[in-house]
Amino acid sequence: MKKNVDSSTLRICVMILIAGLFMLWLVIPFILTILWSLVDKSQPWAWPDALPPALSFGRWVEVWTTTALPQALRNSYQLAPAVAIITLLLALPASWAFGRMEFTGKAVVQNAVLLPLVVPGFVIALFFSSLLNFIGVASRYWGILIGHSIILMPYAVRILTISFAQIRQDTIDAARDMGASHFQRFSVAWLPTLQPGIFAAFIIVFTLSIEEFAISYIIGSPDFTTVPTILYSYLGYKFIRPNAAVISIMLVVPNVILMLIAEKLMIRNPVSSFAAKG
Amino acid sequence: MKSRRKTVLCWLLILPAVAPVVLAMVLVMIMAVSQSVGVFSFGEPGHFTLAYWDQVLSDAQLWRATGYSLKIGVISAILSVAIATPLALWLRKPFTGSSLMSGLLKAPLMVHGLVAALLFINLIAWQGFINLALIKMGIISRPLRMQNDQWGIGVIILQVWKQLPFALLIISGSVRSVGDEIFNAARNLGAGAISRLRQITLPLCIKAVQVSLMLIFIGALGDFSFQVVAGPTNIFSISQYMLRLPETGDHGWNQAAVVAVILMLTAFVGALGIAVLAKLIQVVWEAR
Repeated sequence: MKKNVDSSTLRICVMILIAGLFMLWLVIPFILTILWSLVDKSQPWAWPDALPPALSFGRWVEVWTTTALPQALRNSYQLAPAVAIITLLLALPASWAFGRMEFTGKAVVQNAVLLPLVVPGFVIALFFSSLLNFIGVASRYWGILIGHSIILMPYAVRILTISFAQIRQDTIDAARDMGASHFQRFSVAWLPTLQPGIFAAFIIVFTLSIEEFAISYIIGSPDFTTVPTILYSYLGYKFIRPNAAVISIMLVVPNVILMLIAEKLMIRNPVSSFAAKG
Repeated sequence: MKSRRKTVLCWLLILPAVAPVVLAMVLVMIMAVSQSVGVFSFGEPGHFTLAYWDQVLSDAQLWRATGYSLKIGVISAILSVAIATPLALWLRKPFTGSSLMSGLLKAPLMVHGLVAALLFINLIAWQGFINLALIKMGIISRPLRMQNDQWGIGVIILQVWKQLPFALLIISGSVRSVGDEIFNAARNLGAGAISRLRQITLPLCIKAVQVSLMLIFIGALGDFSFQVVAGPTNIFSISQYMLRLPETGDHGWNQAAVVAVILMLTAFVGALGIAVLAKLIQVVWEAR
C-alpha cells in the first residue's frame, strides 16, 4: 500500500516537473515572442522594463511593407505544395513495394533511401549547390524544388510504407470473394487505410519544405528568399529581435496547426517521429 | 521465373523514389571528395592535389571547430538519450495524464530550429525571463550575461530541448514493443523492478538507444543554426567554419570540400563508434 502511494506521489511530482519545464521552455518564451513582435518602435523595450512600454502592430506592418517577407511567403508557399506533390508521386509506388512485397535487396534499399537523414544537412546543401552549378541548373526555384524533394523523400516513403503495410489482406480477400471488382476492392480495402497516410505524408513534406533552411539558404541566396532565410537574416545575420519575432510567429503557427492535423491522421504512427530534422 | 518477374517489378516500382535520392547523395559525396583533391575546381581546369588538405589541416581553427562540434555532438546525444530513456520507461504503460505528458514532451518537435533558438534567447537574454525573474525575486541585482556563453552550454541546452522528444519517440516505440508477458514471467520468477529493467528492458531497447544516439550525434555535429544564434562568438562550429570558406578566396570551395569530407568522416566514425559501443554493452549484458 505504502509502495503504491510512494509511486503515485513520484508520478505526480514528475508530471508537475514536466508541466513546469513546458511552461518555462515553450509557453513563457512564446508569450515573450508575441510581446516582442508587438513592441512599438517609438518606445523600445529595454532593461529594466519587465514589459514593453507600448504595444502596437507597427512592427508587423513594417516587416510586411519594407522587407522581402511577402515574396518569401509566396516562394515558400509555391515551393511546398509542388515539393509535396512530386515527392508523393515518386514515393507512392516505392512505398507500395516496400509495404506489401518481399524482394531481394529490400532491406538495403529501404536503408539507402534514408541516406539524406544521416549526411549533415549543410554538407548536402553546399555540394548539392555545387552539383547544380556543375550540371548547369541555374534556376534557384528548380534547384530548391529538386533538393527538397530529395531530402524529404525518406519521410514520405516511411509514412506511406507504414500505410501500405497496414492494409489488411483479409479485407482484400473478403472483398474479392464477394465478387468486388478491382476498383471496388481498391475503394473498400485500400483507400480507407491509405488516405490518412497520404494526407499525413503530404502535410509533413509540405511543412518540412516550408521549414527547411540549409538548401533554401545555400541555393537561394541572395535573391531567392524563403521564410526561414528571412528569419535567419534577422536572427543570425543581424540581430533584430522584434522582426525575428514577427517572422517566427508567421512561420510557426500555421506549421504547428498542420502538424497537429497530420498527427491526428496518423494516430497509430505519430508523424512527429519523422519530423526531427529542423 | 515468376519470382524473377516479381523482383523486376518491385525494382521498377522503387526506382522513381530511390534512384534520385541515392544518385544525388552519391554525387554530392563525389562532388565534395573531388573538389577536396582539386580534381574538380570552379573556374580552372582540375588536377589532383593534396594542397587543399594541407592548407585546411594546418589551420588551427579547423581543429578547434572539430573539437568543439564533437563536444556538442557527444554531450547532446548522451544527455538527450539519458533523459529520454527513463521517460520512455515511465510512459510505457498508460496512466491518467500520460497522453498529456507525452504531448508536452513531444511539442518541441513541431518548433522550427531557428524559432527554438529565438525562444531560448527570450529566456536567457539580458532582459530575458530568467534574468527578470531572478531580479524580481531579489536573488541578483543586475542581469547575468548568459547569451552566447563561451562553453556552448546554450547550444547543448537547445540541442537537448529539440532532440530529446525525438529520442523519446524512438525509444518509446521500442520499449512499448516489449510484451507484458515477458515482464509478467520475469516477475513470477522473482525478478525485482531493477532486475527487470537491467535484464529485459534495457537489452531490448539498446537498438533504439543506439539509433537515437547516432542520429542526434550526427545532427548536433553538423549544427549551424543554433551555433550562429546562441553559440559562443569566439569559436566556430565545423559547419560554420565550412560555410565561410567559399567566400575567403579563389580556392575556398576546395577548402570547404575538405572540411565537408572531414565532417562526413567524423559523423561516420562517431556513428560507428556508437554502434560498436552499443554492441559491446549488449554482449556484456547477454554474457551476464
